[in-house]
Amino acid sequence: MEQKKLGMKAARRRSNIAVHIVLAILAAVWVFPVLWVVMTSFRGERGSYVSTFFPQTLTIDNYTRLFTDTTILNFPQMFTNTLIISIFSCILSAFFVLSAAYCLSRLRFKMRRPFMNMAMILGLFPGFMSMIAVYFILKAVGLTEGSLIRLALILCYSGGAALGFQIAKGFFDTTPFAIDEAAMIDGCTRWQVFTRITLPLSKPLIVYTVLTAFMGPWVDFIFAKVICRANADQYTVAIGLWRMLEKEYIDSWYTSFAAGAVLISIPIALLFLKLQKYYVDGMSGAVKG
Amino acid sequence: MKQGWKRAAALVCLLALVLAGCSGLGESGGREKVRLMVWSPTEDQSKDSGMWLQTCCERFAELHPEWDITFVYGIADEPGAAGSVSQDPEASADVFMFANDTLTTMTDAKALSKFGGKYAEEIRRTNSETLLSSVVLDGEIYGVPFTSNTWYMYYDKSVFSEEDVKSLEAMLEKGVVSFPLTNSWYLPAFYFGNGCTLFGENGTEEAQGAQFGGEAGAEVTEYLIGLAQNPNFRIDADGSGIAGMRDGSISAMFTGSWDAAAIQEILGDNMGVAALPTFNLNGEEKQMYSYLGSKAIGVNTSSDYMVQAVELALYLGSAEAQLLHFELRNVIPCSTDLLENEEIMSNPVVMAQNDTAARTSVLQPIVSQMGNCWTPVENMGKGIRNGSVTLDNAAEQTEAMNDAMNSDGIS
Repeated sequence: MEQKKLGMKAARRRSNIAVHIVLAILAAVWVFPVLWVVMTSFRGERGSYVSTFFPQTLTIDNYTRLFTDTTILNFPQMFTNTLIISIFSCILSAFFVLSAAYCLSRLRFKMRRPFMNMAMILGLFPGFMSMIAVYFILKAVGLTEGSLIRLALILCYSGGAALGFQIAKGFFDTTPFAIDEAAMIDGCTRWQVFTRITLPLSKPLIVYTVLTAFMGPWVDFIFAKVICRANADQYTVAIGLWRMLEKEYIDSWYTSFAAGAVLISIPIALLFLKLQKYYVDGMSGAVKG
Repeated sequence: MKQGWKRAAALVCLLALVLAGCSGLGESGGREKVRLMVWSPTEDQSKDSGMWLQTCCERFAELHPEWDITFVYGIADEPGAAGSVSQDPEASADVFMFANDTLTTMTDAKALSKFGGKYAEEIRRTNSETLLSSVVLDGEIYGVPFTSNTWYMYYDKSVFSEEDVKSLEAMLEKGVVSFPLTNSWYLPAFYFGNGCTLFGENGTEEAQGAQFGGEAGAEVTEYLIGLAQNPNFRIDADGSGIAGMRDGSISAMFTGSWDAAAIQEILGDNMGVAALPTFNLNGEEKQMYSYLGSKAIGVNTSSDYMVQAVELALYLGSAEAQLLHFELRNVIPCSTDLLENEEIMSNPVVMAQNDTAARTSVLQPIVSQMGNCWTPVENMGKGIRNGSVTLDNAAEQTEAMNDAMNSDGIS
């Protein structure tokens, strides 16, 4: 009996070790590229190709250069542009997504089902298919010149957001109708139910929605490229980073490119850390009878 | 349809104006108000490199007091301009710079103006025959070339003598040479050396197709397999060539003027630049040939101020502007008016680029079919690198590459 227990223990131990080795390898594979970019951003040697894995000399010049050498590639301006665009589209699209999901989950109207089917089908097409059409529409409205380009990009990124309601709707469906009904008996309007009852119960979902809504415009390249065209003062970081890898720049800008890549991950990381605690809060379950 | 008519009308207008050599419409009562949008790469407009574009545009305005010109500047580098212009010609610059291999992108979108009359004369007069043909399509001139675009050889003078750099084999005996074997802008150099052709002798006859196969092609493939195995040969990919120059493990590499400053910094006085060497194919010395293209200034067919735009394009491509471009940004001039200029002609990079253009290059074809030629050649280079192309199947693989180059399908 005792021996069998020991045997089992050993067997479990063995499988645990095996699992951990596999996990460690996978973790290394995942972290490796990130680590490499961070190391490259501090690399003192110039150029895009190195024969050693670890940098021979360390420097922070790559970072300072991004903010001081702005005549050819104005990184601070691109960063500001992107931040403005992302914050506004994040607010707008999060609002659109949550509202649409709430309506589809709670209200019953004739076009509900057809709308959901249509949204599903539209969602099957990649957004950039409409890119050129979107450009010409924006041009017709006069939004493709000067700083209106920012507004154009915000519209682009948030306009179609409501079509991505599926996950949020699924989440709202899990909160019991009874709570809504109770609130309405107490005199709440639909809007009040949405803001006072549903949203506070859906913090993890809001975190998720806000994060994805922020990330989309933050990393988007193709729409920004098509709409900014020759207006260099409206470039976003994605375009700027891409330009650093062109053949004229790559040799002198490569390490700064890595520094830029590290910098753009900071706002996303901050946002995530800030919102992370709500994940846990929401999960602990506010709905108890 | 309406769009099409408008463009056609603009084209007819331009031709009429150009042919008549007329100097402007609606000039009544003082100076004509003109708004010109000009696109160029960032460096041409940045303070650090002397604001070439702004300087030239202001000089142009001074030369033409009859026009009250407002310039609007935008950023579009030469390879990318064609995409933006053909996307929406009406909202694009009146005058812009483009790489000549993107010419058909814009002519297909009917966005690029032809130069005629005295303007065509001027372009013909100031450009060499080869460079001129880089902007000619179906007998019409579509741009004002301002620099040639090609690649040649940079080497370490302390390793190779001037005699050595004439032959690749001599170089490989003395030092390490790096070549971008997996890049299809470079690899055809060897095939052209053995008499292979693309779209006829001068690259304009689309019907002739790519002739990279047969006995001649197979011989080159076999040679390249041997070259890749040479212990003194390195494949230059992802910037490994210039990194090797930097740490001293490589003594010669092939690239263009865009890397000149970086190599100058690495090698200092030991930097040597030369046109392409010959290579020894089965006992015979064959010359390598690089692709030669150009960067040129183009005029938009939708421009509202056609005469002024054409005049500005001519000015930006003139000897005066090219000289300033060279002084500020080391953009290598190509105007034949500058061949006598000592300051320019004493620069080794200019010498090498001109020598390459004149002696060891072929015009990069701009026919539409050319688009099918890049990937098969790149795959050949990669096959040689990873060993899937061997001496046993070289002939067969070369034939397959040639078939793919001549086919429209995705293969």
